[in-house]
Order: sequence, then C-alpha cells, then structure tokens
Amino acid sequence: MLADVAITLQRWPIVGRRSELEAFEKALCSGEYAGLVIHGRPGVGKTRLADECRLQAAAAGHPTERVAGSRTTALLPLGAVVALLAGGLGRPGPDGQVDAVALFEQTRRALHERHHGRRLVTIADDVSLLDAASVALLGYLAAQETIFLIATVRTGEPVPDLVTGLWRDGRLERVDLGDLSRAHLDTLLHLALGGPIEAGAGREFWAVTRGNPLYVRELVLGALESGALVERSGVWHLEDRLPSTTRLQDLVEQRIGGLSAEARSVIELLALCQPLELGYLETAVPPGVLELLERAGLVAIAVADQEVRLAHPLHGEVVRAAMPRSRARAILLAQAGRLEAATPDPGPAALRIAVWRLDAGGRPDPAVLVRGAHLARYAHDFRVVRRLIEAVPGGQLDAAGALLLGEALYELGAFDASERVLASGQQLPSSEHVALRLAVTRAKNAQWGLCQPEAALAINAAARAVVTSPPLAEELVADEASILTFSGRPGRALAVLERIAGGDRRTRVVRAIAGAPALAMTGRTGDAVRVAEDGFTDHAALGDDLAIAHPAMHIVNQVFALTEAGRLADAERLARAGAEIAASDRVPIAQIFFAANLGRVATLQGRLATARRYYAEAAGLAQVHRFAGPRQLALSGLALAHAMLGDADGAGQALAERATGPAFGFRGPEQQLADAWTAIAARRPAEAAQRFRDAAAQAASTAHRTAESWLWHDLMRTSGQDTSARLRELADACDSPLISARARHAAGARARDARELAGAAADFEALGALLLAAEAAAGAAEAFSRAGDPRAATAALRRSSALAGACEGAATPGLVHGAAAVPLSGREREIVMLAAEGMTSKDIADRLFLSVRTVNNHLQHAYTKLGVSSRAGLAKALGSTS
Amino acid sequence: MTPEQITLVQSSFERLGPQLPAMAARFYQELFGRDPALRALFTTDLAEQQVRFAEKLTEIVRAMPRLDDLLAHTRALGARHSGYGVRAPDYQTVGEALLDALAAVLGDHFDAPTRQAWTLAYNLVAETMLEGAASARRIGT
Repeated sequence: MLADVAITLQRWPIVGRRSELEAFEKALCSGEYAGLVIHGRPGVGKTRLADECRLQAAAAGHPTERVAGSRTTALLPLGAVVALLAGGLGRPGPDGQVDAVALFEQTRRALHERHHGRRLVTIADDVSLLDAASVALLGYLAAQETIFLIATVRTGEPVPDLVTGLWRDGRLERVDLGDLSRAHLDTLLHLALGGPIEAGAGREFWAVTRGNPLYVRELVLGALESGALVERSGVWHLEDRLPSTTRLQDLVEQRIGGLSAEARSVIELLALCQPLELGYLETAVPPGVLELLERAGLVAIAVADQEVRLAHPLHGEVVRAAMPRSRARAILLAQAGRLEAATPDPGPAALRIAVWRLDAGGRPDPAVLVRGAHLARYAHDFRVVRRLIEAVPGGQLDAAGALLLGEALYELGAFDASERVLASGQQLPSSEHVALRLAVTRAKNAQWGLCQPEAALAINAAARAVVTSPPLAEELVADEASILTFSGRPGRALAVLERIAGGDRRTRVVRAIAGAPALAMTGRTGDAVRVAEDGFTDHAALGDDLAIAHPAMHIVNQVFALTEAGRLADAERLARAGAEIAASDRVPIAQIFFAANLGRVATLQGRLATARRYYAEAAGLAQVHRFAGPRQLALSGLALAHAMLGDADGAGQALAERATGPAFGFRGPEQQLADAWTAIAARRPAEAAQRFRDAAAQAASTAHRTAESWLWHDLMRTSGQDTSARLRELADACDSPLISARARHAAGARARDARELAGAAADFEALGALLLAAEAAAGAAEAFSRAGDPRAATAALRRSSALAGACEGAATPGLVHGAAAVPLSGREREIVMLAAEGMTSKDIADRLFLSVRTVNNHLQHAYTKLGVSSRAGLAKALGSTS
Repeated sequence: MTPEQITLVQSSFERLGPQLPAMAARFYQELFGRDPALRALFTTDLAEQQVRFAEKLTEIVRAMPRLDDLLAHTRALGARHSGYGVRAPDYQTVGEALLDALAAVLGDHFDAPTRQAWTLAYNLVAETMLEGAASARRIGT
C-alpha cells in the first residue's frame, strides 16, 4: 500500500503558500532585501516553506545552503554554521585573541569567491536556537549581500537581534504562517493522496488537525502505514479512527515508536549529529533502511549535497528527549572519533567534532574552546564564554583566556570569582596589551562589582608601573580618572585627566566616560554635555572592544550633564529615548542609570510620585542584575521621593534597604539628601539640618559643586536658615541656571525681598522645577503680605498653589507654611509643626536644644499670627491650609 | 474533495448547457468589476477570450475525477498565465468572480452544497495552476 503512494509522497505537496513563495521570489530578485523571515507556530510549515524557497532558488541557478539551530549546536559559537565557514576558522592574533570581525570578513570573501559573487540562499532553521556568534555571522553576511537569509522563527520564541536589526532597516521580508483553511486542507489531502477522499474521512482530518500542516502530514503517513487509510476504486477511505492525541509530540513518538531497532538508531544518530554524509550512512546502515525512512517521510535526502537529515526539527527534539543519556554519549563520541579519523585536518569541521564532544560531556581541544569563547565574547554571550573557558583543563589557561573568563564572570555578577581569576591571570606571562586589559577589567570589577574603589585605585597604580608604552599608559591614566569620578572625587578626576594630551580614540572614549560626569559635578555643565556627545561619537567609530563600558553610558552621562545644566526637559527626552534602546539592546547597567536619572529629573521637576516609580524601577533592576553601587543610588533617590511626599515610613524602609549594601561613593553627598529629608519627614529637623551641613561639607571637599548647591538650598528650604552667601559663590563657579536660581531664591529669602522671590519662582518655573517654583512663590506671598501688599500676596499664593498642584502630592515644609500664607519665622514654623503633631513643649525643647520658655514664647507668637488659642486649633489651622 | 462533490461540480456545469457563453461573459464582467487593472492583462479580443475560457473550463471540469489528467491541464495553464503576469493574489479574485458568475446564471440551482463543491474544485485548480506557474518561472529564469 505504501509503495502505491510513494510517488506522490516523495515531495509532500505544499498548499496555500503561493503568496509567500511569490513574496520570497520577489524579495530575492529585487536586491533590496537581505532575507526573508518566516514566523509561525510549530508544525505550521515554516521548514517546509523554507525548503520550497530553497528549491526554487536552486532551480533559478542560485547556490544554496542550510543551517539549523539546536540545543546541541548552541554549545559552541559558530557550531551551527560550520557549513558557511568557507574561509576556515580564523587565526588568533599576536595578543591571543580571535578577531571575530576579521573572521567574518574572511568568510565573506571565501563565500564570494566560491560562488562567483552570486548570493548564497541560506536557510537558517529555528534561528532562536542559534548561538549568538552564528547569528552575528549570518547578520553580517546577509547585510553584505553574500547570502540571502531565509530564517524561521517559532511564534513566542525570542527573535535574535540580527533579525530585528535587519527588520528595522527594512531589509527583511516577513511572512506569518497560519494553519490551513478548510479548503486548503481539502486540496492538500487531494494532492497528497492523488484522488478524492470520502466525506467522513475529510471531516475527521479537519476535526483532528484544524489545518496544522505537520499534524496532517504525520497523521496521513501514520494512517497509510497502519492501514487505516485505504484506497478503493479511486476513493480514499478511513477504516479506523485517527489517533485522538492533541499533542503533535505524542503523534511523532507513536510514529517513531513503531520503527524497527535499526531504523530507530538511524533516527537517533541524525537527531544528534545531522546532517550526515549520504555516503557514510549508506555503508553504515543495512540496505533498505534509509529508503524506508525516506518513504515514511522521516528523513530527507538531499541528493545534490549528498546529505541526510531528519525531515522535521520536531522529530529530532522528540527523539533526543526520549534517548538515554549514556546512549547519546556513546553515539556522539563515536561520531567525533569517526570524523577525526576520516579527516586529519578537519578545518571548520573541527567545530562539529568539538560540539559533539561537548554534548557528550567530554573534553574537546582547548584551542577550539578558547577560540569559541572569543567568538561568544564578541557576541556578548557571557554564559557561553564562561562555560567554554571553564572546560579548559587547569594549567592550560593563558593570560588572554583568564582575561576572557574574568570579564565574563564580572558580567555575570560573580565578582569574587572574577577577582580571583583576573588576579591569577596577572601572574601569567602576557603581552603589554593583555596586561593592560587584565588591570582595567580587574579594577572595574573591584569598583563596580565589589564596591572597593580603593582596591581599584591600587590595581590601577600597580599596572601603571608595568604598562608604560604611551597609548596604553594613557588609557590607564584615563581609567584612574574614571575610578575617581565614580567614587565621588570629580575634582581629582579632572586633575588626573589633565595629565593626558589627545590620546588615541580608545583613550578618548575612556576619558569621556570619566570626564563628562566629573565636569558636570564640578559645575562645568556645558563642557560636560559636549564631552559626552563627543565620547559617544568616538565610541561608535571605535566599534566594540573589551573592557570598555557600553556606548549607551555616554548618553547616560549626557542626561546627567543636561540635568545639572537645568535643562530638565531635554534631559528627560534623551533619557526616555536612551531607556528604550537600553531595554531593547538588553544593557542592564544603562537601563538602571536611565531609570535612576529619570527619577532624578522628576524629583527636580517636583513630580514626586513619578520620581518614586522610576527610582523603584532602577532599584529593582539593580537588585536583579547585582549592581550594588547603582542600587545605592536608586534607593537613595527612592527614600528622597518618599520623604518629600511626606511618607516617613516609606523613606525609612528604602534607607534600611540601602543599609544592607556597601557604600557607593559616586555622588555620595547627593545620596545624603535622602537621609536629611527622611529626618524632615520624621519631624527631626535638627538632625536633618546637621545632615545637610555635613553632606555639603563633604561635597565641598570633593569639588562636587552641584550637589553642594542642592544641599545648602534644601537646608534653607526646610529650616529657613540663611545659606545664600555660599549658594552665590557656587552659582558664580558654575554655569548652570538651576544653581543660579537656587542662589537667587536663598538671597530673596534672606532679604525677605518679595520681588526677588517671585523672580526666583519664575526662574524655577522656566526650568520646569515646579516644586521649587511653588515654594519660592509661597515665600514671595509671605514677603508681600509682610510688606503690606495683600493683593500681590494673594496673587503669589495662587501661583504657588497652582504650581504645587502639579507636584503629585509633594508635602515639603516650604509648601505647608507657604500655603498658610502666614508670616511665621523659620523657628516658629519648626516648633508649630512639632506641636501640631502633639508633642509637648518639653519634648520640643529637648529635640531642638532650646529652653521650654523659648518654645512657649515662639508658640505664643504663632498662636497670635494664626489666630488660634490652642494646640488643637493649631493642628486645624495647619490641616485646613496644607 | 469527495466523489460526490466532483459529481456535483460536473452536473451543475452540464446544467449550464447553452448558457455557458453567458456565464463566461458574466465572469469577465465580475472580474473586471472587482479589479479593473486586470483588464490590461488581456490583450486579445474579449469575445474570443470568452470562448477560450469556456473551452478550457469544460476541459478542466471533465478532467476533475482523474488527478493526473487534471494536473496536465492546470499546470500548463498556470505556466501560461504566469507569463501574462498573473500572480497568487489574482487567483483569489478570479475564484470569487467565477463563483458569482455561476451563481448568477444557475440561480436557485447553485445551492450551498454546489457552492462548497465549486469552492474546493477551484482551490484545487488554483493551487496546481500556481505550482505550474512557479515551475515555469523557474525554468524561464
């Protein structure tokens, strides 16, 4: 029976896919497209369509190739695309590194030559299962028009970046496959069986498969084999019910389960090692078995390529899952041995051998492993780097290998292990180049991973004694500046940067990463924005390289510089755009910094609930990705936002969480805003004032002028203390209108100058700093009222309320007293707030280091001004106006 | 298709009898109404075109019960149409025009089972014509 339909079955018909095939044809001919992506659920016919495209291309005279991702080939970078490596595997350079870009280019040239400049139509089946380096190579070759890519992607699986990248550039045609319609299923059965089918059988096939083509194929082939589907007088009948399983996997298992032991072992062999050479299988397998499997639609033999593979990826998955580990091991090792013996100089096939040995849990050639690790590093696949290098036997790892492993461990958050590996790598003989990178990576791990900036500085200093050639030595100096900047010493960082002249591009990039935030913190915000912009341009031209931060960090720096320059709207826009890119490129450190900076901008804008949300997001990301330092920054911001919203408990919780991590020096004084404001929210004003002062002194000692300005200004806002003189000096030393507005606010408050306060309010409002504008306007209202101008006071008060309305529930002292529009002195306000909380005069006196009599005097004055006669009335007066 | 559906296609086609030319005329009317751009694909005289269409349709309906015969007709026909620049989406339009033309001429005789049978028959014809078209382009390029 099977033999009768064999002719029809040699090529299972393709139905309902003609538009897609025409789309392929058009894309291939147009020259505009680099490839075609086929999306769809398992069994919908992606592989079948891709194969049909390939046949069509071959018939039109195009050379073709086929690669496929699997869990096995993913074990080694480029393991899946051995067939494309026409130019060999690339040779490590003098510094022990494999240059992935050079290898890709070499491959491109070799393919170009081999195929006389014609595009190689290449199927990449299941691209989601490809290793990152294979994906990068395919992307490169497709973009260069060396290959025309036909990629299949299962619905719900992640689409590799290369695919999304080419797609974004409009260089990919995309088709989405769905199940067949009822009419198409009917036509498929008609063509597959070669004649009509009785009505009941047709209904049954539709009811069971709902048009899933692979399901149909497996059912038809299974039913033919079992004799359930038979032909009588030219009409096909179903003699038996179809298997009722709804899982395709079960169906495939049933089909393979019915095979002879010999046939099954061929399937197992292919599931692990496909594709295999037809010539080899013909000698290794008893006669007739291959033919039987081909007829049963389980294996596909490509006569032109002399290759045999399983007819569908799903068959391989089902068989692999059911195979005992020991059996798989034996098959893999036997095949590795066979191929090694057959080809003494295997060339790219060495990768296949290595993949099989890795899959078997064996030990492949260390040189292959290290080469693979370099390629994985190029593709940012640090898990694979780690796995490959850790498979190298102890004692055989050189300095370059240690560098790779140390960096991967750092990226994966294994900081202690990274320190061990890099420190021992520094003991091995190496070129100056590798020595430099070991030092820079180890310092980075010490600073960002272990949060030990002093250790990072020591590593840097030790390296400077050894690495002395000009461009390399300069990079170390730039790195020293970076450590200083990101541990909160911007003034010193800038002094260190003075020691290097132009430097090469790489040095300029490292210099920009350290220099831009340092310039911003010292108040040279215009220079900071420029340096960050140039740094990004230089970094883009540099290409990817070891031991340099991600290019997005320049944009983070630019956001910070714009914020310090008071360009809040610009900063917010840039940060939002950057956050999107960082999320889609999956760069966690940049995501964290963008979120934290968005929180920071929102804080300055007075949008405190928004700020709280961004900071919480940044803290969560930092926690997940184990960036302990940035987590401190985010939690500080979170506490600050809570406190300014009047939520002392929330602020306290964030601070308690922060206390579980190591201290982080970067923007350290600014982080203490959180402690001070939490004290304000908890009604401990004396403690708050002390914290503001201490932090401001610390900021002054490190030339962190922007933070110092913020701290003195907030002391003034919360206590009424005069800080105007220092704020004026800072404004003169900086180029930022935000800092100038703070100085104006403080000067106006000191002089009780209503017009200056109103001017400061307008300045803040122009910058988008609405909470500060509201507070300054409230101050102006008070001053107008004191000066006997109630109309101007009312207007200013109304302005203040309107601005405060945009501040998402801000509850700062500047608003509470301002809204009351009553000219309380700073001290009176402080005491009134505590009394309204229900504290006794004695407690207030203790808290504020005053005598009880002084407290009562202040209270009495406040009662008079507010027109109340008791503490209860006080609470009511404040409550009704706040 | 079921054997019954093949019979239904053939018997309803027989019923057209002398109205076949009218159905052919109606078909082109429906077709160009749906997509006026298709008119440019027909360079010959429309009356002559209608006669050819009726002949070809008759051959195909007769070949319906034997797949090999059917494929011989449809693949060659598809190959020719590919040369005229007809592509997969056009087949959808053609199918709708054909069914509506049949319905218009057959009236009440074109009931739901008949329509279903013609739908499947047309789908089979269109798929195999497209297959012939693709192989022809392959050889051509």
